[in-house]
Amino acid sequence: MRSLPAGKTPRSTIQSRRLFYCIVPFIILCFLFSYFPLYGWIYAFFDYKPPLKLSQCEFVGWKWFKTLFANRTQIGQMIQVMKNTFAMSLLGIATSILPMGFAVFLNEIQCRWFKNLVQTLTTLPNFISWVLVYSVAFCLFTDSGMVNNFLIGHGMIQAPVKFLDSDTHTYLWMTMWNLWKGLGWGAIMYLAAIAGIDPELYDAARVDGANRLQLMKHITIPCLLPTFFVLLMLSIANFLNNGMDQYYVFQNSFNKAHIQVLDLYVYNVGMTGSSLSLATAVSMLKSLVSVTLLLIVNSVSKKTRGETII
Amino acid sequence: MVREKIFHVVNYLMFGIITLICAYPFYYMIINTISANDLSANGFINFLPKGFHLENYKQVIRLRGLSAAAVVSVARTILGTACTVFASAYLGFLFTQEKMWHRKFWYRFFVITMYFNAGLIPMFITMKTLHLTNSFWVYVIPTIIQPFYIILVKTYIESIPKSLQEAAEIDGAGILTVFARIILPAAQPIMATVAIFAAVSQWNSFQDTLIYVTDQRLYSLQYLLYTYINQASSLAAMVRSGGTGAISGAVLASRQTPSSIRMTVSVIVVLPILFIYPIFQRFFVKGIMIGSIKG
Amino acid sequence: MRKKQISVILCAALAVTAVLAGCNKDASVENITGNSSYDKLITVDVFDTLANYQGIQSGWFAKVVKDKFNMELNIIAPNVAGGGDTLFQTRSAAGNLGDLIITKTENGRFENMVKAGLLMDMAPVLKEKNVYKNYEDAILNMNKGLAKEGIYAIPSEISSQSPNVSAEGIEPLVAPYLRWDGYKAIGYPEMKTLEDMIPVMKQLQEQIPKSDSGKKTYAISLFKDWDDNMMMIAKNYASLYGYQEIGFVMEKYDGSDFQNIVDSDSYYVKSLHFLFDANQEGLVDPESTTQNYDILSDKYRDGQVLTSLWSWQGQSYYNTRERKEEGKGIMPAFIEDMAPYTDGCYSMGNGKGVIAIGSQAKEPERLAAFIDWMYSPEGMELVSQANGAAGPEGLTWEMKDEKAVYTDYGWKALPNNDVPVPEEWGGGSWKDGVSALNYKPLALVDTDPNTNEPYITTMWSSVLEMNDTPLDTDWQKYAQGAKTTIELLEKKGALSVAPGTSYIQPKESSDITTLRGQCKAVIVDDSWKMVFAADEAEFDSSLQHMQDTVHGLGYDRVLEVDLKNAKDRAATRKTAMDEYARRRK
Repeated sequence: MRSLPAGKTPRSTIQSRRLFYCIVPFIILCFLFSYFPLYGWIYAFFDYKPPLKLSQCEFVGWKWFKTLFANRTQIGQMIQVMKNTFAMSLLGIATSILPMGFAVFLNEIQCRWFKNLVQTLTTLPNFISWVLVYSVAFCLFTDSGMVNNFLIGHGMIQAPVKFLDSDTHTYLWMTMWNLWKGLGWGAIMYLAAIAGIDPELYDAARVDGANRLQLMKHITIPCLLPTFFVLLMLSIANFLNNGMDQYYVFQNSFNKAHIQVLDLYVYNVGMTGSSLSLATAVSMLKSLVSVTLLLIVNSVSKKTRGETII
Repeated sequence: MVREKIFHVVNYLMFGIITLICAYPFYYMIINTISANDLSANGFINFLPKGFHLENYKQVIRLRGLSAAAVVSVARTILGTACTVFASAYLGFLFTQEKMWHRKFWYRFFVITMYFNAGLIPMFITMKTLHLTNSFWVYVIPTIIQPFYIILVKTYIESIPKSLQEAAEIDGAGILTVFARIILPAAQPIMATVAIFAAVSQWNSFQDTLIYVTDQRLYSLQYLLYTYINQASSLAAMVRSGGTGAISGAVLASRQTPSSIRMTVSVIVVLPILFIYPIFQRFFVKGIMIGSIKG
Repeated sequence: MRKKQISVILCAALAVTAVLAGCNKDASVENITGNSSYDKLITVDVFDTLANYQGIQSGWFAKVVKDKFNMELNIIAPNVAGGGDTLFQTRSAAGNLGDLIITKTENGRFENMVKAGLLMDMAPVLKEKNVYKNYEDAILNMNKGLAKEGIYAIPSEISSQSPNVSAEGIEPLVAPYLRWDGYKAIGYPEMKTLEDMIPVMKQLQEQIPKSDSGKKTYAISLFKDWDDNMMMIAKNYASLYGYQEIGFVMEKYDGSDFQNIVDSDSYYVKSLHFLFDANQEGLVDPESTTQNYDILSDKYRDGQVLTSLWSWQGQSYYNTRERKEEGKGIMPAFIEDMAPYTDGCYSMGNGKGVIAIGSQAKEPERLAAFIDWMYSPEGMELVSQANGAAGPEGLTWEMKDEKAVYTDYGWKALPNNDVPVPEEWGGGSWKDGVSALNYKPLALVDTDPNTNEPYITTMWSSVLEMNDTPLDTDWQKYAQGAKTTIELLEKKGALSVAPGTSYIQPKESSDITTLRGQCKAVIVDDSWKMVFAADEAEFDSSLQHMQDTVHGLGYDRVLEVDLKNAKDRAATRKTAMDEYARRRK
């Protein structure tokens, strides 16, 4: 290390600082819109009742956090809800490899217009709101819907199958709907990554005698893996956030035992509606869990793969 | 050779089936919105339209404020997407620079914001303090930083060979020149991806209008259509709380059902997106960047 | 390149269409010239929780408002804006709800709005006005016990009639409506109790096996959207016997009985059992469990559902003029032991919906004059046209031989059809010009001094005479000459009129609210399971499960609160009766 004249910083530090200055405006933006509003977490410690101002409301401390575990029956309900949440999230994670597979195999299609058509049309479900998805599902799967009419008309069954209001295979059905909605859209990221692979790699490997499957295994997939791991980690951190819309439209008294995930449960018992404070408390807890999961997965990745994901 | 052919046939078939499953519900919606409403309501329209009419669409076109809302939506989509794409690319690139001062810390600073949500009232008060409520910029400025897209871009850029950057730096290029000359062209596929995601998100969003905007001239298209749907469904709720049922008579018996309105609105909102796709699909052609750089 | 060009052209085409569409002419307020005594045109923000339209009021009602007050109304409607309470929360956080506020008041909202300083004390501007002079009692009653002294709101539906007169005009809250053509064909069988309806429904289903479009019919079809504290439809069967809900309690109309809904012999559970029996007989649509309100409405339109509890559900959707001419339609039958519930007139006003002036309003004088006008007979005719009143005199109605009759235009336009309005009245379409405020200042069944008939036109003698389709005449014969459902029930002494009261449910602690949320989720789910149980044993086990679970959650604490509220409400009913008697002396 050369010693420096007094008062001068090493070039590498200047450079590192300069890089930092480049992102400062964005740090400010991020702070303003994501960190600054967090002062609102204080609402979770009051009994906030709009339209009163916060100062006019009663301070209640940890009350809201304890509400979710108030008594035995309540805890029993929470256990079932958490089971549902876990199941749906696990299934979601398990099927998250499918968009990658979709992209890999779509890449093998030679015909350019067919490829573009498939890509465009398979993203359509992503734009249909869950309310409408349910309308379509109702038309297809209800007792007098298309599927049952077809099955009865061809003598395969005698009485209509209760697709929508039975509790069998609820997890599976919800996962299938999720997949249908998200497959084409999720594959876009992987298609972009594949577009970035140097074609010379393929040419070289083909010269060496690699067949299609080997090309996939040794070139395409390794290039997609970084994206896949990042998305995997983000979904693990999102474990408790299944969203509500999908489960809300499909729920009814008969499948509720298995369809009620945490977000839906909180909505159903009116927690979010009637009490902003309780909703804030729940949101705080979920954030805590998410960030913890994120850090855990990150360190697991460091130990197994040698590098962290974020 | 035969194995190749079988593979191709199976591949095409699989994608054909998947495409049909994905496209059919949308097709179902289209034919239902152009068929006679009572046939549609009774579930008779499954594969072909019957009783063709465009009344559903005409009703929507006649909505007051539709053209203004359309202009707002187009403007916010274009501006918002441009800003988001630029910011994501910029930040995604800078975070790949290992020399940055406390890089990991600042990267996590951005990423974990995906997991907290301050709540409705604090966000509203923040926007109000920043004078963003009832302003067009509430659609653009808060959406500039999207950690998810930053992650996507960063992961992608990490797969670009470092030699390109090093070569440019040896030639005396500063960090911003490297960004503009080397990285941007090379990252076109991922930027196109971010552009699609951001554009769709801007085009479809209505929650921000709902919460932050009361001036009708700033309504986004999606929000206007959302209120249109609400209006149809809320009539029923009104009757329930009202008591005297005199009004409901003629109104409820009218031809347009809430579900036909929803479907019409959905079709109208999605069609522009379908027309934009071809523009982005150009970027998903393999090897588009490496070739252009090396040449 | 070509594909890109095509997409650009298509986008441009879309944009052009949108722009052209925006240029259509509609009766915007700028085109209307006013001639009032106020100089400045102001735009009044109306925060209206009852409205179903958001935006600037246009058309004939807007012209009236502009002529008289030189104002245009910008309606802010949470129902349309979406997000539930979001708009209310954000606007109150900003400190300004609006210039004029029409809002619901329950659960402590009214008191909190006063406490938070969102409402203006109207006493100075209201003291000289007619509305205060005529309805002083009701107004003062509304504003007592608040954190600050003053007059902050005026209640809606103020009536000068006895609380024992039904406020609903021609149809009660619930009644056993069924397909009259079928009922006639099977010989009008007598029904002594609710259970007797089951064999009748069975016969109806056999008599009318297919709907107008050829689909299978069902006597009963349910939906799940509106379930709140309990399964909504089951509760309504209980209302057939004069009970109305308040939380988890069913209160009898005269305050003589309070039932806990999870009790095994409550009317609620009896209704669930009724539905269970109906389902066992194959009378209940199996799609009930998964369909929402929109889907059910379509079925009613088509005639797939043969009975209904609400007039606006069965009759409004199915009874078109053509079908009535054929003698087909849904009309109310009569069950011997029934006593349908109906709300009586609100002599002290209906405290659940009020109108107020916002604390940041710029011209309270003008707004007070506007409110005063709303509570006058002329104002009532125009504002409540949205709820069935007559509309502008001379356009839709006129006095002929001392009787109020519709004009030809009135027959075409009323109640709110898409008919063009003459330019001098405001232009545009009639239905677009209807007042979007959806507020009833006075009781619709009160007598309009201008016409000597009720405000609500469906009760006018000239209009009732026109109910002369074969369906109507047949029904009127059965009803021994009664022209409306309420008339029939009054004749038979079966109407349960709950004296109108200005009672508002007080705010409850957040604990109770949370507990209530949990309990009602259990009650609703188990109720559905009970209705669709496979057999009696399953019905009983679901009932047991419901009772055990809610008690485990802490149901009794909520019940205590609800019972207290129910008793308070019953007491105010009695007070309303006494007050009215005292005033009439």
